[in-house]
Order: sequence, then C-alpha cells, then structure tokens
Amino acid sequence: MAVQMVMGFLAALTFGYIFRVPAGESIRCGLVGCLGWTIFLAAQGPVGEVGAVFLAATAVAVASEVLARRRHQPVIVFLTPGIIPIVPGSKAYLTMLSFVQKDYAEGLVLLVTTLFLAGAVAAGIIITSSIFRSHTSTKPVGR
Amino acid sequence: MEELVGLILKAGELLLTCGAEMARVEETIERMGRAAGFSAVESYATPTGLFVSLHAPDGRVYTRVKRIRGGHSNIALIAEVNSLSRAFAAGKITAEELRYALERLQEEGAGNAAARPLIGGGGALAFAMMVGGSWLEGLVAGVVGALVLFVVSRMERRFPKVIQAAAGSMVAAAAVTIVGQRLSINTNIAILGAVMVLAPGLVITTAIRDLLSGELVSGLSRSAEALVIAVAIAAGVAVVLSLGGA
Repeated sequence: MAVQMVMGFLAALTFGYIFRVPAGESIRCGLVGCLGWTIFLAAQGPVGEVGAVFLAATAVAVASEVLARRRHQPVIVFLTPGIIPIVPGSKAYLTMLSFVQKDYAEGLVLLVTTLFLAGAVAAGIIITSSIFRSHTSTKPVGR
Repeated sequence: MEELVGLILKAGELLLTCGAEMARVEETIERMGRAAGFSAVESYATPTGLFVSLHAPDGRVYTRVKRIRGGHSNIALIAEVNSLSRAFAAGKITAEELRYALERLQEEGAGNAAARPLIGGGGALAFAMMVGGSWLEGLVAGVVGALVLFVVSRMERRFPKVIQAAAGSMVAAAAVTIVGQRLSINTNIAILGAVMVLAPGLVITTAIRDLLSGELVSGLSRSAEALVIAVAIAAGVAVVLSLGGA
C-alpha cells in the first residue's frame, strides 16, 4: 500500500512536469494525485471500482479547487496532474488493443468498463466544480 | 488602440496554444479589453481559432481573427498569462510592460526540454507499478517511456500530434518486445506504462471543463482530439505487435 501511495504521488508529480505546471506547485500536484489514488485503493473494496473512482475524482477536484484558490493558480494546475492516476487511461488502451487483436468479447467488456469509469471521473469533477462555482463570487470585470 | 488590440490578441493566442479552457481565454480577453478602455468586448474562442471584436469609446470597432496552430500543453504559461492579465486589469503593470512580458513568455516556450524525458520516465514507471507490475517491469517501462518522450520531442512542431502518438507507441512496443526476449517480464504491463506518457491528459481535463461551462464546440472537438490520439496510440502498438508475431 505504501509503495502504491508513492507511485500515485510519482505519477502525478511527473505528469505535472510533462504538462509543465509552475515549478513551485509540482509537489502539491503530486500530493493531490497521491490523495486520489489512495482513496481509490481504499474504497475499491467496499464500493466497487466505479464508486471508488467517483469518490477519488471528487476528492481530487475538491483539493484542486481549494489549492487553486489558496495559491492563486488556475484550477487545471492541480486538477490535470492530480486526476492522472485515476483516469482509466490503461483501460482505454487495453480496450483498443483487444479490438485490434480481434478479441471483440473482451474488448466490449473493457469498453463498457472504461466508459463507466470515465463517466465517474467526469461526474466527480463536474459536480464538485459546479458547487464551487455557485459558491464563490468571481471578481467583477466591469460587466 | 491598435497596439492594445494586438496585445489582447497575443494573450489569447498564447493561452490557446498552451491548451487553456475556452472560458479562461474569453474571460482574459474581456478583462484585458475592459482594462484597456474598450466599451464592449466580444470574443469567441475555439481550439483552432480566435475571434475578437473590440468596441472603442469613439465608435470604432476593431475585429480580428487569429488562426491557432499546433501548440503543446504548458500549464505554467497559462498561469503566467492569467496572472499578467489580472495585474494589467488592476493597473499594476502598464501595456508596455505587459507586452514585454508576453513576448518573453512566448520565446521561453518549452523551457528545460532536456529533463522532460527522464522525469516522464518516472511517470511510466509509476504507471506500470500502479497496474500491478513488478519493479523490473516498472523499470523497463520507465526506461522505454523516457525513450518515447525523447523521440516525440524530436518530432515536435514538425508532425501533427496524432503522428507523434502513433510513432511514440510504435517505439514503445518495439523496445519492450526486444527487451522482453531477454528478460522474463509481462510485456503488456511494460508497454502500457511506457505509452501512458503519450496520454492526452490535459486535453481530457479541459474537454470536461469546456463541456461543463457550456462550450460545446471546443468541448466536443477536444474530446474528438483525445479519442483520435488514444486510437493512434493503440494502433501503433497493435501494428508492432502483429508484425512481431506476438
């Protein structure tokens, strides 16, 4: 478990670097990623894969919104690297691979799983940021 | 006035080429336009083009169209332009200072490119371990992931993103297959970790955020971009695996 937590941290940290987040924020990006991956691993047993991804995505989105406001950075600075460990990128890849290798039955199962997981990630982000948007007054720009 | 229009357009262009959300681009243009003294600001941003119409108090209307080409994810630059535009709107910096800062940002561009493959390799290692790989499989994925990023960085600007993704995943599959003949590893896990460095992460996040804020055109076109890149990655691996007789 400890190794996995470090890997979640490492994945978010390095992907933050690939997406070129501001240098001073990369450790925080890694911590957000570690949070998401830890919650996913912990919740996977009790609530299943899709539920765990939803919970993890919600936690990552909340952490990103809070950090963004505290550090005066755009939300995507933390959200993009932080969400990386729980995005079903590997499942999407395996789906495509099954189809090109003519294993259609396996491909369909993987496809449906990927869609549900991606939907859970999107739902977690969307619900969280809508709540944050409706509860924070953006500074007027003279509209 | 003419100069301010160019400045606003430049800020919008920088944001778009770095992969910012549409709402942010339009908000930034509006904020800067107001601060520059225009009475009305209309803008329409898409991932491939920017339209801005600025109404001056004397009745003249400045309308510009900017075609956006290529570009690569650079969140730090988005954050920089964002805070510059806020400083400009608050009157903390002059138009001249803003222009100098924007030009400098554009020149800096990619920044420390040499370290990216190495650090990205760490990401590939983490991914291979996260899908249940052993340390050895993680290590192979990490080295190959670094190689993939190096190859892709050589191709940057000269080839479209889709070709980069396909070529990168072909390199990953070939390298892991060769290594796999010597070592007893699960090549699928190692390939999976290595190709993850090509995953269009920023595109997916901004696509979700664009759709959420009602930007249907860019939300859908970004989703399509992410899908095409994902297919290119899988196709690259599949081509190599089927040629290699695996």
